[in-house]
Amino acid sequence: MSDIEVPPTGKRRNSPQGTPAGIPVPADPPPPGPWKTAAKKFMHNPFAVAGLVIVLIFVLIALLAHKLAPYDPTRIDMMFPNLPAGSEGHLLGTDELGRDILSRLIYSSQISLKVGFSVAIVSVVIGAMIGAVSGYFGGWVDTVFMRLVDVMYSIPTLFLNILILAIFGSKSTYLIWILALTSWMGVARLVRGNYLQLREMQYVEAAKAIGVSDWRIIFVHLLRNSSAPIIVTATLMVGNAILSESALSYLGLGIQTPDTSWGLMLSNAQEFMLTDPLLALYPGLCILIVVLAVNFIGDGIRDAMDPRKTTIPRRRLDQWRTKFSKSGT
Amino acid sequence: MTEYLIRRLLQSVLVLFLISILTFAIIHAAPGGPTQVFLAPGLSPEAAKVQAHNLGLDQPVPVQYLKWIGGMLQGDLGHTFKNNIPVGDILWPTVKNTIILMASAWILSLIIAIPWGIYNSTREYGFSDHTSNFISYLGFAMPTFWFGIILQQTFALKLDLLPLSDMYDMDKQGDVGNLILHLVLPVTVLSLGFLAGYVKYSRSSMLEVLNQDYVRTARAKGLKERKVVYRHALRNALIPIITILGLDLPILVGGAALTENVFNWPGMGRLFVEMAVAREYSVLMSITLVVSVMVVVGNLLADILYAVVDPRVQYGRKGGAAA
Repeated sequence: MSDIEVPPTGKRRNSPQGTPAGIPVPADPPPPGPWKTAAKKFMHNPFAVAGLVIVLIFVLIALLAHKLAPYDPTRIDMMFPNLPAGSEGHLLGTDELGRDILSRLIYSSQISLKVGFSVAIVSVVIGAMIGAVSGYFGGWVDTVFMRLVDVMYSIPTLFLNILILAIFGSKSTYLIWILALTSWMGVARLVRGNYLQLREMQYVEAAKAIGVSDWRIIFVHLLRNSSAPIIVTATLMVGNAILSESALSYLGLGIQTPDTSWGLMLSNAQEFMLTDPLLALYPGLCILIVVLAVNFIGDGIRDAMDPRKTTIPRRRLDQWRTKFSKSGT
Repeated sequence: MTEYLIRRLLQSVLVLFLISILTFAIIHAAPGGPTQVFLAPGLSPEAAKVQAHNLGLDQPVPVQYLKWIGGMLQGDLGHTFKNNIPVGDILWPTVKNTIILMASAWILSLIIAIPWGIYNSTREYGFSDHTSNFISYLGFAMPTFWFGIILQQTFALKLDLLPLSDMYDMDKQGDVGNLILHLVLPVTVLSLGFLAGYVKYSRSSMLEVLNQDYVRTARAKGLKERKVVYRHALRNALIPIITILGLDLPILVGGAALTENVFNWPGMGRLFVEMAVAREYSVLMSITLVVSVMVVVGNLLADILYAVVDPRVQYGRKGGAAA
């Protein structure tokens, strides 16, 4: 977030002291590649690591749902409706139809993660392709695509999503496609801006000169160079998609019973707010924690890929700055 | 300037035209086509044919589009299947209610966010800065409707301080004091998401201005820091916020729609969801178009305002406001 420019730390390759004559200079190990540096920086960011751990835990829960869940989440048991948390056999109690809340929470993580990751992948692929093509070629292709982006940005996404879901019906595959088709614009703009700069690079000229095709330049040479911001956006998009899915399910237009999702659980919970206020707490907390974790990962990746960011804590940097400004340098 | 205005206006009209085509195309891409969409479900095939003819659905698609958009332009938003009510009659009152909700949330978040952002810009990485960062993380990750439900449970049900939902009490329709009481919770929910973003934005905008030469000049000639910050820097720092306000409009409208559904607020968003559940497609189309018009006009106004307020804006060939 801060734009403090700091020269990258690390071993200096040509040490100024010089070496005594006659002694061969030991070869420095090759500097670590950019991905390795980024991974190292990422692992030093406690928030990012915490986010990663939390997301991995949720992924594990989703994958092992059938083993972890004590009950079938759709099993209706009218003998024991509205059991409070901590009841025997039902750790978090049961809902108005006697379904086990813990099991439903566990199974919901499957839907949320599936929707979140699929939407992020599909929309990033669509957005990156459109952005790349319009940024690289420019001209009328660019005009057409960017007007399309303007149009998509002018229709409030929630309304568009609801309109399409109402017409086409709510299936989880539809939901993924609809969410993806209404959220690619940000990536497209980002990638386009990147490509506008990158296409002027000399290596593009060189590639053209030796006869590399436009498409290969777009999807091999340039894509590699703008992968960092794309990865960051993709990560942040997972969180957004989970939020959108839960909102639509809450409104009754997303995931439908007998499937279960956190948003759907919340819409049930609101009906029984008076009798069982805790019912609303759990699914919301799950959404909050997952999205927060995903966003931490996204921010962590962004910081790790930004060469201007170092692992030096901000406070120490500030101290240095004040010291230097006081000493008059 | 005039040229810029005209170009910007034409651009908005083009975007609106494309939006109308897109909406129309969605309806035509529906399984079963527009007959499925426009005719009330459960008609016999013969009756459906007659109705389709009456509605002009057997005509070529471009003709249908022109008819539809012509009706829209004349204020005819279509009729509901159920009871054949004109859409305008149910839509316009809800627009007013939505605007009340959105405007209150917007003004409140600005009133809090701008001073807070300024304060944070003068004390970078302090406690207050970290607090607003924390809130922004929460605001981005928390489902707004869940926050609404939690507030309802706490302040309406448990503490019984504020009304649970709706716009007025049953016996106090139109009473302003009562309206304000009902506004508190939804406005809190709606502003939280924006608050954090605006604090961050006004902070970074201030920081940028505070590093400029004229601010240094002001300091150098011995003005008090207070005067430098609030007189000289603030004016220029506020200008870019206008653009953000315009760009945020679609998100604000969407957020308002969700909040309306949580608090049973009789606004556009709630009407939209109701109509979506009832499969009233022509109402959905009209509302989508009306909302998009609001957003496009809002963006246009923001851009014009920006150009008026900031004389440095070049009315460049790209039509954008490049400072």
